[in-house]
Amino acid sequence: MLQCIFLLSDSGEVMLEKQLTGHRVDRSICAWFWDQILTQGDSLKLVPVIASPTHYLFQVVREGITFLACTQVEMPPLMAIEFLCRVADVLSDYLDGLNEDLIKDNFVIVYELLDEMIDNGFPLTTEPNILREMIAPPNLVSKVLSVVTGNTSNMSNTLPGATSSCVPWRKTDLKHTSNEVYVDLVEEMDATISRDGTLVKCEIYGEVQVNSHLSGLPDLTLSFANPSILNDVRFHPCVRLRPWEANQILSFVPPDGQFKLMSYRVKKLKNTPIYVKPQLTSDLGTCRISVLVGIRNDPGKAIDSITVQFRLPPCVVSSDLSSNHGAVNVLADKTCSWTIGRIPKDKAPSMSGTLVLETGVERLHVFPTFQVSFRIMGVALSGLKIDKLELLNLPSRPYKGFRALTRAGEFQVRS
Amino acid sequence: MLTQFGATADSLSKASTMMFRIGTDAHLYDDPDDVSIAPLLDSKFDSEKCEALKRLLALIAQGFDVSSYFPQVVKNVASQSLEVKKLVYLYLLHYAEKRPNETLLSINCFQKDLGDPNPLVRAWALRTMAGIRLHVIAPLVLVAVGKCARDPSIYVRKCAATALPKLHDLCLEEQTAAIEELVGMLLKDNSPGVVGAAAAAFASICPSNFSVIGRNYKKLCKTLPDVEEWGQIVLIGILLRYVIAKHGLVRESLMLTSDPLVKHNSEGEDLEPHVAMRKPLHETSFDICTEIADMVSRSYLEGPDKHLSQLGHVNRDSLRLDGSCVTSAKSNDDVKILLQCTSPLLWSYNSAVVLAAAGVHWIMAPKEDVLKIVKPLLFLLRSSSSSKYVVLCNIQVFAKAMPSLFCPYYEDFFINSLDSYQIKALKLEILSSIATYSSISSILLEFQDYIRDPDRRFAADTVAAIGLCAQRLPDVAHTCLEGLLFLALSDGDAASLGEEEIVLVQVIKSIKAIIEKDPPSHERVIVLLLRSLDSMRAPAARAMIIWMMGEYSYMGVLISKMIPTILKYLARRFTLEAVETKLQIINACIKVLLHIKGENMSELQIIVGYVLELANSDLNYDIRDRARFLKNFLSHCMRSHDVEEVKDQKEYKDLTHVLAEYIFGGQRKVQSEPFSYRFYLPGSLSQIVLHAAPGYEPLPEPCSLIDESHFPSHVEGTTIMEDRAIDSETNDIDDSDAMSGSLEEENTTDYSSQASVSGSSGGGGSYNGASDTDGDEEAGALINLSDGAPTSRNHIKDSEENSASGFTDFGELMSNRALESWLNENPGSSQNFYDVSHAQRSLARISIKDIAQLVKPKSYTLLDPANGKGLSVDYRFSSEVSSISPQFVCLQVSFRNYTTEPMSNIFLSEEEADQGPDSFGKSVSSSESFSVSHGEAATLVSMEEISSLAPGQTTNRILHIRFEHHLLPLKLVLWCDGRKQPVKLRPDIGYFIKPLPMDIEAFSKKESQLPGMFEYIRRCTFTDHISQPNDKKDEQHSQITDIFLMICEKLALKMLNNANLFLVSVDMPVAANLNDLSGLCLRLSGEILSNSIPCLITLTLKGTCSEPLEVSVKMNCEETVFGLNLLNRIVNFLAEPAP
Repeated sequence: MLQCIFLLSDSGEVMLEKQLTGHRVDRSICAWFWDQILTQGDSLKLVPVIASPTHYLFQVVREGITFLACTQVEMPPLMAIEFLCRVADVLSDYLDGLNEDLIKDNFVIVYELLDEMIDNGFPLTTEPNILREMIAPPNLVSKVLSVVTGNTSNMSNTLPGATSSCVPWRKTDLKHTSNEVYVDLVEEMDATISRDGTLVKCEIYGEVQVNSHLSGLPDLTLSFANPSILNDVRFHPCVRLRPWEANQILSFVPPDGQFKLMSYRVKKLKNTPIYVKPQLTSDLGTCRISVLVGIRNDPGKAIDSITVQFRLPPCVVSSDLSSNHGAVNVLADKTCSWTIGRIPKDKAPSMSGTLVLETGVERLHVFPTFQVSFRIMGVALSGLKIDKLELLNLPSRPYKGFRALTRAGEFQVRS
Repeated sequence: MLTQFGATADSLSKASTMMFRIGTDAHLYDDPDDVSIAPLLDSKFDSEKCEALKRLLALIAQGFDVSSYFPQVVKNVASQSLEVKKLVYLYLLHYAEKRPNETLLSINCFQKDLGDPNPLVRAWALRTMAGIRLHVIAPLVLVAVGKCARDPSIYVRKCAATALPKLHDLCLEEQTAAIEELVGMLLKDNSPGVVGAAAAAFASICPSNFSVIGRNYKKLCKTLPDVEEWGQIVLIGILLRYVIAKHGLVRESLMLTSDPLVKHNSEGEDLEPHVAMRKPLHETSFDICTEIADMVSRSYLEGPDKHLSQLGHVNRDSLRLDGSCVTSAKSNDDVKILLQCTSPLLWSYNSAVVLAAAGVHWIMAPKEDVLKIVKPLLFLLRSSSSSKYVVLCNIQVFAKAMPSLFCPYYEDFFINSLDSYQIKALKLEILSSIATYSSISSILLEFQDYIRDPDRRFAADTVAAIGLCAQRLPDVAHTCLEGLLFLALSDGDAASLGEEEIVLVQVIKSIKAIIEKDPPSHERVIVLLLRSLDSMRAPAARAMIIWMMGEYSYMGVLISKMIPTILKYLARRFTLEAVETKLQIINACIKVLLHIKGENMSELQIIVGYVLELANSDLNYDIRDRARFLKNFLSHCMRSHDVEEVKDQKEYKDLTHVLAEYIFGGQRKVQSEPFSYRFYLPGSLSQIVLHAAPGYEPLPEPCSLIDESHFPSHVEGTTIMEDRAIDSETNDIDDSDAMSGSLEEENTTDYSSQASVSGSSGGGGSYNGASDTDGDEEAGALINLSDGAPTSRNHIKDSEENSASGFTDFGELMSNRALESWLNENPGSSQNFYDVSHAQRSLARISIKDIAQLVKPKSYTLLDPANGKGLSVDYRFSSEVSSISPQFVCLQVSFRNYTTEPMSNIFLSEEEADQGPDSFGKSVSSSESFSVSHGEAATLVSMEEISSLAPGQTTNRILHIRFEHHLLPLKLVLWCDGRKQPVKLRPDIGYFIKPLPMDIEAFSKKESQLPGMFEYIRRCTFTDHISQPNDKKDEQHSQITDIFLMICEKLALKMLNNANLFLVSVDMPVAANLNDLSGLCLRLSGEILSNSIPCLITLTLKGTCSEPLEVSVKMNCEETVFGLNLLNRIVNFLAEPAP
């Protein structure tokens, strides 16, 4: 069980501490932790489980905020990590983002949330819907109201009904004037293209996101036209597992509002919508670089927000890059990003330039990897199709909406 | 114009942020104490109270101590506003332990709130009340939890379940029965939410009390999918342990792959020690690394530390897996249900749940079904990078033991350039262990790309992985070697860069490892490397190539032809080489000389002689030594050659030659590296940090539950139908109990049987032998610090033995005796006040002789004559060890009659009104290993009555009291002339220990065994000696009173007067400055009465004689909490000025 949770700012300052059990954890552990980060560099920031001399530390870093939890006894490490991720999710949902100021400005809410979310080191209520009913999120109306009336209470006076229902993720007796439900397929394409341009790996990680505003206790059934292409799935707790096991049908009572119903993976895709062809030739201390981007398989919808990012190798001293379309930016940490946006009809965008290498280095021997991102509205590249969505237990005919979106996930091209 | 506009925009954005921060608590966090908080707390408006409380919280958040506001805050607990309540609770929980007395004021409010119609209020009150952790109110909390466990609201019941571990922490042994009863009841709850919380409580309170699970097993399995995600994680683990304890391992599972018994388990007596490498059972499609699988299963069952320690022994059948401990997944219902219920959880959103479910299948499922876990595990790799790391650590073990599982999915382990270095390294390791002939070509292609990665450390790891692949799959060794060779030879110019060196060294290392497998066929490679020696810069790489030359010099025609040239080249360059290369050159020379035949001999001898000469005058002594040694070694061999070559071959074979052959002869068989991996249960913290974290427990011993016969469901031969019937029957009985709602009744009916159950299962199921059955129960809940190293465990046992054997002798005053024996070392100097015995460095160890007589334990007043109508009672803690049991503390109580009339029937007894005085003792909350057989906290052995006490007379009595480490006053009743008089006895932690005689060596040895977490230091100032010189001036002393000694004596006396310790040694600084006391060091030792754990105390002084001294007190004790308390006590009395 967890003994203490600390929230650290990106400069290592302890913003909050919440002791969870009788075995108090001294703040000095944070100083130790930060010392380690400073001495061992940022690579330690990415190690989620650290054994310090006195405690085991779990860390999750989100937007510069470090969530640090301590324990002294055996416990499933993933439980701690998942919990910290959940805390981060709930906080960023409550505060509309996550940064040092937001946390300090709303520290009382953070305390109240933490107190509800974990008790004696074991998670208590982590369901966002219930939390929202217990502790009101700080929105503009309540802020203004609090200034005007001087009343600052954000605590609910009654226990949310959902805590005692068999569907704890849903508020009881919800009423919406317009009954509507939207289903979005949001897919991310992970692809790795090797040096010689072959597609090493290409797969889709997708989520079925549902935004439901339905009254009462509706029962939804969602089925796919081609569920066999799904390689693997994970479900929101509201999904009944038996119908899926039997017929690959999603049957569920939805939470209110936006939620992730399911995530899936489709493997072994054969091609990518765009191509990126980097070329680096180096000789006599300089390196010519050229990158070509173009559409390979037209998905039928416009591809936009295309950017190509890469990090110049450490042996590069200076660079001179230009493009015939879009803007090229080189940051101080040698990250170079080329924002293309939409591919024009008349020409293929290309970027070219020269890199000057360190003295003594004749040729480039390490090569950067190019991270590509793009977005295609209206298409699910995996080819997954929603067959139908049935709604039961509803007083009036609801409005149903479907959308799809594909964007690049870990899309990288090696050079 | 533009600039103006910019300014406006700037101020606009400022204004908007200001606007944004309005209504938040920003100003409170930024300067929380800009108004005075106290009046706000007393305000009658809730909003002002809120503001004050928020300011206090802000101060807490920033790490300030605001406990001084405690009394004012506690008052507000009665507020009706829920927000105020919540804030007060937050504050209260943070400081309750610091201010126990004021906290008690709030209890009434909680009790009132517990009856509130609003379930939220009830739940909060319960959570806070249990969370403030005061031993005094533990019975009240227990009652409250019992009540809330039957609350109609699910949320309140859930909170009751969460409160149980807190209560268990607090009460220790006293109420275990009642608490376990409640756990059992909550586990039966109809709401899955409550069951999840109850499971967590079970895991931390009584993880081995499987009978509770047995009664509800099927129901728990059925509710498992509906339980909250966090509860699922814990419940899966509990069910797995239960099934193994009840039915044993599954015959078809991976855990029993290599066990010969599986094949012929019908004749279970066939217990031959089995051969590690055995063909897999199903040779069909399962590529199982039997050796590792076997080790994994043994580690899971015994804990790797124990397992590894046994590796040396041949006798490996300590598990005694006879036929009855094995079950089948196909025929056993319980196993089947468990697997069925956990498989849908593999689709959970929570990665911890998926991993826990995968762990169950890994251990219990038949081998062909384990495939099920692969895809979900791989899917977890797409979740957050933190969980990715943990999942990969687990997959690594799975992949090592059963590479076939992950072979087809090798693409999932391809590296993403955004991964952190740790993740990349793990993926490489997995890839190299799952590579097969079908996948190796694409994996090698990937590796080629990785070598060009800008992160050179990662590139070096990739090279190492290529080497591993080549060793695993000999058919591709050639391809790998070609690739590596290309790298080694082409990197010439780049290798000058510092970073590139690690890659090059790794390349050569990998090549070397591949060649070692089959040297003769790789002659060409060696030759190529030797030719490129000149362009290779990295000393480590050069050293390895030279080693290869020496090692394989005898082999092949080409090499031996090249050798003279290369040796010449090396001899020329010798002075320019790095140390490691030089050493290898010398070695290689000798090897070459030993193997060479024929014509080149004389030329080589000259070269070698030259090299040895150079080495002989090298700057590095290591090289000089090596050269000298080898010169002697070879002198005979070389000379004999010089003189005449026709001599018989036998002449060479004299002793040195044989030795040289033996040492440098090469041809060592490449030993298969002994596996030294440590395996812990999948999904555990220990598996990530690779050592057993405190509280880690391996799987229970298979079938350890079978002995229980008092549960009808366990009777063998009952069919499932009967089983169910009985199950429901027991349920009915329990339900009716629950309806009647009386806790006591349940206790009496159920507990007796349960206690025996837990006892027996604890004894049978404990993994580390019988020594820690008591530790078992709390292992999950508390920090079991003593669990850490096996050495420390032994050493506790030792000390236990010591105390056991020495116990009878310790009847007298301990410190007295010990000092005498110690003094015997210096009998001659008995008249001296001190004696410098053995000087050690700049310290002189002295002995203080008369100190035993000077020890005067501090006396406390139990009753003063004013209150006691003329009777005065004083007590002092005696250093004697009680004759009744080592757990008792002896008190010397003296009664004195100040009146003019005699008194009669004076008698001290415990307060009867209370059930047990436990409610008055504040327990040391994590004293885990106190094994206590009695129920109550503190006990008083009835005192001999004083029949009459004449006026002015003083009588002494000895009182034996067991305090159980409770530091709160013990309430007693003093009877005198038939009148009752309540009195309070204050325990002194200094007397919860007894002297542990030891010498300085033993002390420092023990001290070195208790580092890190077991060592705490506090500082204080010691002022007693300052006033002293003035007094002493008047006294005329013939001796020169040494001020050092006087201070030593003062300090030692103060320690011995206040705590029952043994003075091990006194070290004095022999400093130039006579006034400087820094370095004076006193060592004292003692052991805790109740569990004989040693406490070592070291006092170190700093400062000069005339000023207050800074004393740093260091405590080494395994019992962390006790140690800290004792340390605090010592610091307190040291700092307290002399009366």
